[in-house]
Amino acid sequence: MELKICHLYPDILNLYGDRGNVTCLKKRLEWRGIDCTVEGISIGQKLDASQYDLFFIGGGQDFEQEVLLEDLRGDKSLQIKSAIEDEKPFLAICGGYQILGSYYKTWDGQQCDFIGALDLYTIGHKDRMIGNYMYTCDDLEGQTVVGFENHSGKTYLGSGVRPIGRVLSGFGNNGEDGFEGARYKNVYATYSHGCLLPKNPAIADMLLRWALERKYPNVSLAALDDTLEHGAHSYMEARLRAAQNH
Amino acid sequence: MCKFSRFAIRKLGRGGTDMPGRIALKICPDLLGRLAKDVTTVIVTGTNGKTTTSRMIEQAMTDSGISFFANKTGANLLSGVTAEFAANSGTLSGKCRYPYALIEADEAAFKAISTFVDAKTVVVTNVFRDQLDRYGEVTHTLDNIRIGISHSPNAVLCLNADDSLSGSLAGEVENPVIFYGVNTPIYEKRVEEVSDAPYCIKCKHEYVYDYVTYGHLGGYHCPHCGYGRPEPQVAVSQVRSSDAEQSQITFRLDGTEYPAVVNLPGGYNIYNAASCMAAGKAMGLNAATVAESLSRFQCGFGRMEKFDINGTSVRMILIKNPAGCNQVLNFLSNASGHAVFVACLNDRAQDGRDISWIWDVDFEKLLDMGEKLDAIYVSGVRADDMALRFKYAGIPPEKIFIEKDYVALMEKVTAQPQPVYVMPTYTAMLDLRDKISRTYGFKEYWEA
Repeated sequence: MELKICHLYPDILNLYGDRGNVTCLKKRLEWRGIDCTVEGISIGQKLDASQYDLFFIGGGQDFEQEVLLEDLRGDKSLQIKSAIEDEKPFLAICGGYQILGSYYKTWDGQQCDFIGALDLYTIGHKDRMIGNYMYTCDDLEGQTVVGFENHSGKTYLGSGVRPIGRVLSGFGNNGEDGFEGARYKNVYATYSHGCLLPKNPAIADMLLRWALERKYPNVSLAALDDTLEHGAHSYMEARLRAAQNH
Repeated sequence: MCKFSRFAIRKLGRGGTDMPGRIALKICPDLLGRLAKDVTTVIVTGTNGKTTTSRMIEQAMTDSGISFFANKTGANLLSGVTAEFAANSGTLSGKCRYPYALIEADEAAFKAISTFVDAKTVVVTNVFRDQLDRYGEVTHTLDNIRIGISHSPNAVLCLNADDSLSGSLAGEVENPVIFYGVNTPIYEKRVEEVSDAPYCIKCKHEYVYDYVTYGHLGGYHCPHCGYGRPEPQVAVSQVRSSDAEQSQITFRLDGTEYPAVVNLPGGYNIYNAASCMAAGKAMGLNAATVAESLSRFQCGFGRMEKFDINGTSVRMILIKNPAGCNQVLNFLSNASGHAVFVACLNDRAQDGRDISWIWDVDFEKLLDMGEKLDAIYVSGVRADDMALRFKYAGIPPEKIFIEKDYVALMEKVTAQPQPVYVMPTYTAMLDLRDKISRTYGFKEYWEA
């Protein structure tokens, strides 16, 4: 068995720890004896989405995001959209999450059109939403997801997508409606920037399962020793719950 | 007032290097401007290397016979700098006791400090991506430094020719500029790094490199707009050797070669030495004297600081962002013998609340050490996350130990003879140092 992961714009959308998510996916396959290759596709490189089983797109600096939007127009957008409609798993974080939506409007009204793969949009805000946060995940009942958010954009979901879950602590999509992230087909889009997956191994395995099942029906994922993973997760969960009770 | 408050806090037994200044600023907002008025000031700012560069310049100034004071304890915000000026001024006259001051300034605080202090020399070490929750994006850091320079019209600027980010400041200010740089690659093998600046700061096209020293530093140029590395007036023309204790290099400036020994290991300290040479040139110091002083300066606390505990050598190396930590790993993974590592990760405001940067550090590089890596201990508030990082780097789990108690931690790692390298974040370093000094009787930093 083998999975091919496409890391979109690894040299530009690489804000704080994003490559940790790719490392995590790769290692969790290796530990189960499943082959994994990761290919980066960046500016000026043609994307043939049919070559890959799983996609990752991270967040970037504003300065570099302009360089990228030019490149995304045209064929790359179409490739990404068709892969999503094809139910290929996508993990999209922060800037990558916003880019999959329809547009970004700055706080002073300038609109920047994105690729429109997901029914959502983002409005820039003057104050940033920063900090450790926690939310539920409708796909994984009874489990929480812990992460770190750092965004000034407030994202609002249309009727074509659903949230990942409810915010238990922190801001989430916009700090207003109590929701975090967006789910559509096999897209998991979230503001949990940096290394989401190592501390939330259930999310990592969910993405891997989606990708493997598409390619190898009836596959099952062997259990791993996640003692350290659960240690990091429960430390942050306990800390956020303690802060709430104060 | 300021002096009294600092005295009181010290007596209370805490390293209060910031609090007295904050109290004084409340009482008299222009205090720093008054205190610094007639003092010839050198300011060192930038993302990485500020403290070490300051200690090098300090030695050069001492050896050049200059009478000065420096903010040595890492208090580099407006309040801390104010407290430092106050502590070095006459109680009644308010006049500084020294004609010169050497000030390390936090890159975000520089613009505030420079509204009060009219520096004659400003050294910018480099700009790297740093704690995003505190400093924002690199372009934001650059803007802050640019504003600081605009408040310093009388300063000679020392800029890093190899850094496309901070080097770009030269074209945007009127100040005279002395560029420093390294003309050759430093490492045979380097860690795999994410460049913080792959695209041209002027026109956003991709840079082409003749060579890379580390990170995004090196011989870069933009094929589209022509922006590129300027020829440095202060150049490291040769890196003759670089080992676990020191580097032997050759400087070239004003047509003369100066051999120098930098008494700290690591390629990034070669850059710090070059920026010190540039500062010396800006101040009109004798270049041979400055080069000579690099062999015997005292490193700043937590910057490769060496302790001897129970007969085991312990080196403390502050880590704070991916670029700096990768350079530490470049050094450590090239070390020749067996070693034990300790990583202490905190997430308080001064460390950066977001710890995801540890995933941008190439800890995988430690695998090159193979059997020579005896153990890795993790500690600090976020020890669990640090342990995870090492696990996913491929370190065998049986070599990873979580020990959150600092006293137990130091006992365990010094119960074996191999050298220990401790990599703490800022507040973890303060806590750890405090425990070490209480347990083993080393000096508190403000008494140093």
